[in-house]
Amino acid sequence: MSDARAAAGPRMATKAAPPRRAGGEANKEAARDEPAVGLVVTGIGTVGADGFDFRTALGRHGYKYLPAASQYFLAAAKRALAQAGPDALEAVGPEERGAAVGTNSAAVALHHTMDRTVTATGAADLSPVTAPYFSINLFGSRLATEHDLKGFNLTFTSPRVAGLEALQTGQRALATGRARRLLAGATEEALPDGEPGADTSEAGAVALVLEPEPAARSRGVAALGRVGVRSFFLPPKAAASAEGAEHAAALLRDALDALGHRPDRPLAVTAVLDGSPVGEAMAAALDEKALGGRALAGKPERVPAGAGALEPVARVAAALAAPDGHPHAVVTAAAEGNAAVCLITPGDANAVPGAPAGTDAGVMPGAPAEADAGAGSEQPMSGRRRASDR
Amino acid sequence: MDDVLVTGLGALSPLGAGVAAFWRGMHKAGTAPSRVPDPLAHMDHPLMYLVPEADLPDGPEEQDGLPLGRGSRFALAAAREAVADAGLAALPGASGVPGPGAGPGTGPYAMGSYAAGPYAAGGGLDPRRVAVALSTGMGDTDLHEGWWTGEAPASGRWAPPFPLASVVGGWFGAQGVNTCVSNACAASGYALSVGADLIRSGEADVVIAGGAEAYSRVALACFNRLGAIDPERCRPFAVERQGTVFGEGAAVLVLESATHARARGARTVYGRLAGAGWSCDAYHATAPEPSGEQIERAMREALREAGAGTGSESGAGSGAESGGLGFVIPHGTGTELNDVVESRVLDALTPRTPLYSVKALIGHTGGAAGAFAALAASLVLHHRTLPPNVPVGERDPECAVPLPSGSAPMTGAYGLVNAYAFGGNNISLVFGEAAA
Repeated sequence: MSDARAAAGPRMATKAAPPRRAGGEANKEAARDEPAVGLVVTGIGTVGADGFDFRTALGRHGYKYLPAASQYFLAAAKRALAQAGPDALEAVGPEERGAAVGTNSAAVALHHTMDRTVTATGAADLSPVTAPYFSINLFGSRLATEHDLKGFNLTFTSPRVAGLEALQTGQRALATGRARRLLAGATEEALPDGEPGADTSEAGAVALVLEPEPAARSRGVAALGRVGVRSFFLPPKAAASAEGAEHAAALLRDALDALGHRPDRPLAVTAVLDGSPVGEAMAAALDEKALGGRALAGKPERVPAGAGALEPVARVAAALAAPDGHPHAVVTAAAEGNAAVCLITPGDANAVPGAPAGTDAGVMPGAPAEADAGAGSEQPMSGRRRASDR
Repeated sequence: MDDVLVTGLGALSPLGAGVAAFWRGMHKAGTAPSRVPDPLAHMDHPLMYLVPEADLPDGPEEQDGLPLGRGSRFALAAAREAVADAGLAALPGASGVPGPGAGPGTGPYAMGSYAAGPYAAGGGLDPRRVAVALSTGMGDTDLHEGWWTGEAPASGRWAPPFPLASVVGGWFGAQGVNTCVSNACAASGYALSVGADLIRSGEADVVIAGGAEAYSRVALACFNRLGAIDPERCRPFAVERQGTVFGEGAAVLVLESATHARARGARTVYGRLAGAGWSCDAYHATAPEPSGEQIERAMREALREAGAGTGSESGAGSGAESGGLGFVIPHGTGTELNDVVESRVLDALTPRTPLYSVKALIGHTGGAAGAFAALAASLVLHHRTLPPNVPVGERDPECAVPLPSGSAPMTGAYGLVNAYAFGGNNISLVFGEAAA
């Protein structure tokens, strides 16, 4: 460790200006006028599996053979874009639009069905239409084709935190100049009967549209709020030890600090946790004392976690859609050790022009207080030519 | 901005266990796929480049109560080698550190002992500044395939299909960002790029990054159904190529900030991850966009960020002659259109720069392919030698790229790595020389 780092001690945040790597000269030029600092959510789309009909949600043609989780995500994105307005994406070129999706279980049921076919009668009986969906990233890739997203199209699969990671890494990619608009969220499909965890299956999707605050303002659309994500890892053995809650609290404090949350500002907390040692350690850490005296706006709400990455993002969407006047943290963790905090700052606070930097309202959560806005900021600091030719 | 150095390497591949076996295999240049040992693999071409039986990790079967599939075991094996090569030791709280404490003994989350203690075990590493960014296309799907065909799960605990980064993070005790990227065959290129971003942004000092892929019956069956498996071997850019052939294994690189590496006296620096370019075709679920516009954009961006010449600017010789780009490790899968489109762009952008095909050697390792290409690039830069390509037969005249059949000194300062995927995901990385 460098002397400087050693002197500073353990930390997760950086005060250094983030890298301004440009996604092409056009992006670089545009970033001067429209810094990635201060991304705001301008569209929210949520879709549940119950009663879902792709014909009404997407259209009668072109979607019938898509697996359910792909349909859900497309429908959620359609709703989010409808709220954000018709020019939410079109304001920038295709190479300046990116997407990121998180999922754990989107493909399991389909893979199960495919495997039964292969083992019973052979691969020749697989549907050629759904065969490409052995690849988990196909569930989010149709989005890129439909909306001409040429910046990037990322898929994350980390247990339970994948949806929040899509928000985190997608925003970091915008901050580093790889795109200027982001569609991000999560999608899941129910696990097949008999699969471990099937009793806690998730099915549905959530999508958010994010854009720089000045862009939203110039389009005359409402900023629904800001979302900043910090992910980390609590080793299961550490969580299960006598010091587990202490470890978890230290990581949570670091994350909230990095996200720019002021300890004296009341914080509502929703915790999406399971009963594992990691989940229990995180739950034990979520009290005012353990969090270093942070003012909590009421007792943290604990929500049972499911077998997927959807619920945490759904809770983020809910907090954005129904702001209660103060910052809201959605905390989640998986038995495997993955954990994340999403700090949601309500839209009203964000609408305050010239709000002081370094406060919840002034910058994107986690952005370095002294960063040059013009330099941008990373979110947490910060056939045969045929269909198989890849 | 701090350089991102490669300070440790690990590999488990069809060439055997370890980076040394991989480098030897690159020079031997003689491999062939074999039939997968799965009686239920009912498909026309049940072929893969497999990790040799003798080199398969003998466990673990589980970690912290989570049953592990072949992908997680592969990732662990390569990560162990990479961090040891970097001179790093597992951190307190790690599953890889034996200790006196006891965790819960029974139930779905049963696990073994916990070792508490100071950071000394990690050689001064701050666990919160150690991240893991691994990738996979199929993860531990083989485990689930076993359950679907008669094997009983050990418990009712949900087993997420993609726990590879988590397993490595738990083993090492890394508490920083822990992410699994699953952008199909470009995934490990993205994992490495995300890892570099974590260092450049100041979020991490060290990132255990790479990818792992293992045999999955579903994946191989679907590629058979798509008619994309070559019945002979993986022969990119060959006129008789008929598709690709999957390979399996894991490649892991330790990425480290130059400041951190220097401060701790890292013993070997293989190179640096100097540039990255991302793009998406937004064209078709599985087929590449024929003009190659977006793969060219990714290559140009990666080269620009690295400050590497392409060899095409002056029109007077290759980048190697000017100390610029010395070699390219292409995506080149052996599928018809991919190889033509990539060749066309490379011929225009990096003319006469020699290619080295990892896939001709070990097959298409899917979510680990970018990491294996990065591993190979790091070794080429470190040894300053470009190994011979595996002979692929008569070359396709539409693929006008140099594939040298003999070993040669590497004279350029940079290597370009391409990785493309279903969904039109493209990434290019540029690795450069670096000193310790």
